[in-house]
Amino acid sequence: MTKKALHLLSASDLSALFSQGDVSAREIASHFLERIRSLDASLGTFLSVLEPRALKKAEELDKKRKEGKPLGKLAAVPIAIKDNMHIEGELTTCASRFLTNYRAPFSATAVRLLEEADALLIGKTNLDEFAMGSSNESSAFFPVRNPWDLSKVPGGSSGGSAAAVSARLSLLATGSDTGGSIRQPAGLTGIVGFKPSYGRVSRYGLVAFGSSLDQIGPFATCVKDAALAMEVLGAPCEKDATSLPLPKEPYPLSPSLEPMTIGVPYDFLKNLNPAVRENFDAAIDAFRELGASIVEVDLDVLRYSIATYYILATAEASTNLARFDGIRFGVRAKEAKTLEEIYSLSRGQGFGKEVKKRILLGTYVLSAGYKDAYYKKAQEVRSAIQGAFDASFKTCDALLMPVAPSGAFAHSSIHDPVEMYLQDIFTIPANLAGLPAISVPSGFDAEGLPLGIQILGPRFHDVRVMQAAYAYEQKTQHAKAPPFAQGEKSP
Amino acid sequence: MAEFTKETLEHLKRLARIDCSLEEEQEVLSSLQKVLSYMEQLASFAEPAAKDVLPESGVRLRPDCIEASFSRDAFLANAPDHVGGMVRIPPVLKEL
Repeated sequence: MTKKALHLLSASDLSALFSQGDVSAREIASHFLERIRSLDASLGTFLSVLEPRALKKAEELDKKRKEGKPLGKLAAVPIAIKDNMHIEGELTTCASRFLTNYRAPFSATAVRLLEEADALLIGKTNLDEFAMGSSNESSAFFPVRNPWDLSKVPGGSSGGSAAAVSARLSLLATGSDTGGSIRQPAGLTGIVGFKPSYGRVSRYGLVAFGSSLDQIGPFATCVKDAALAMEVLGAPCEKDATSLPLPKEPYPLSPSLEPMTIGVPYDFLKNLNPAVRENFDAAIDAFRELGASIVEVDLDVLRYSIATYYILATAEASTNLARFDGIRFGVRAKEAKTLEEIYSLSRGQGFGKEVKKRILLGTYVLSAGYKDAYYKKAQEVRSAIQGAFDASFKTCDALLMPVAPSGAFAHSSIHDPVEMYLQDIFTIPANLAGLPAISVPSGFDAEGLPLGIQILGPRFHDVRVMQAAYAYEQKTQHAKAPPFAQGEKSP
Repeated sequence: MAEFTKETLEHLKRLARIDCSLEEEQEVLSSLQKVLSYMEQLASFAEPAAKDVLPESGVRLRPDCIEASFSRDAFLANAPDHVGGMVRIPPVLKEL
């Protein structure tokens, strides 16, 4: 194995090479740090690179291996952390001007688990400000570009993490998924993204957006690596009251599919664009060939998902982001003379337009006179959506949907807020119902841009979802690195 | 559902304690009008009202006891202004 090709390996194969002594952790860390230095200027995936931290950890791992001590599941695997999760002593900016100087006094549980599994934390990735966006254009610092075509967006909000893994600047990354922020960018950049069941992965140390919706999950170049990451991340945590008291679970994978019935909500999907339709139909055929039975399920109520989500998520965001007041942390407006001015000017200067819009919308739907018409109604619809999923899972074991309505779109091409919100039409339902869902590469559109399919399972059946994804991936072999990551051309 | 006006926006800015530039106000007003118009479709949702739900979270409460937290120095390291070990803000009590 030449050092040049280390980034084209899977995380599990790279870790195995390290464990066998074929490559040192120092060589691995240096290789990926060099890739970031030489390639990231054109992608904008990282907000900070943790070079000293990664090299120090690599040195410790090389010593540990030489001494024959047991190594963690992710030994020497480079992993990027979305910059809305805390790493003790490092900046957490949430891609916001408000937090440009915030240094985390503690590590998120997910980060701690990854460090304990001997992963190399290599950097913190760009995102839509406070994870609010579907294109990664609302970062306060700079947008992220799609490694498959730099004129296109990588999706959002975890666009930095997705593009970093797609470009093989890291082999794993964390994301947070409130309405599709892991699965949609994974689909648009041709990699695997997994949103676990609500409560499966601790959110302690994740900057909250919509607390009844947020989940942390992994990005990977293949399903096997996503499963490996979940074996580390899926652990109970006393510091997150919504973390489930369930033990860690193994993710045994097989290329053959267990006998399974897969539901397809044809009515909800009747208006797919032709390229996505063709790709999705091919995915259904692939599952048939794997032995799955395909049945139609009635999920027509999902057409209310976007309206429901943007009421509930913004309501929760407006309360969660009330803590950013310029008093205890973050940036305080210098010209503020009174307490009231500290609040309004600091928030006015610190937040970008999309964040302001969502806080104001959330304030509106919770305000006197409108709460019943919007917030209460949305909770009722959410309940109906959850009920419709429960009914569907009585007739099938998993559901199949596209990840996004199209492949990656051009930067600055969507100005209408509703059109942008509709990018999440197929991903939001899983968040509203707390379901596990995965995005897996399913081929390419006519422009050569990646497309993805999404597999959803009943809550707590994360392993089943991963197993179905693995069987599909092994049969179809759609996952591949973008040309420049393979050294065919520079971005 | 209600019309979203400039006055509504002013009210929300006060409630949310957020200052906006004139340019931002125009964009926020236009965007929120479109978004709220889209949300009106929920009025056509006619299934019988179910109880409010969140995903079943299995929320567990921690024991009500004091645990170690951040040190004062660690907390103040991120405070925009502090003096004598305390966060400093402008006076909130006016002299009579």
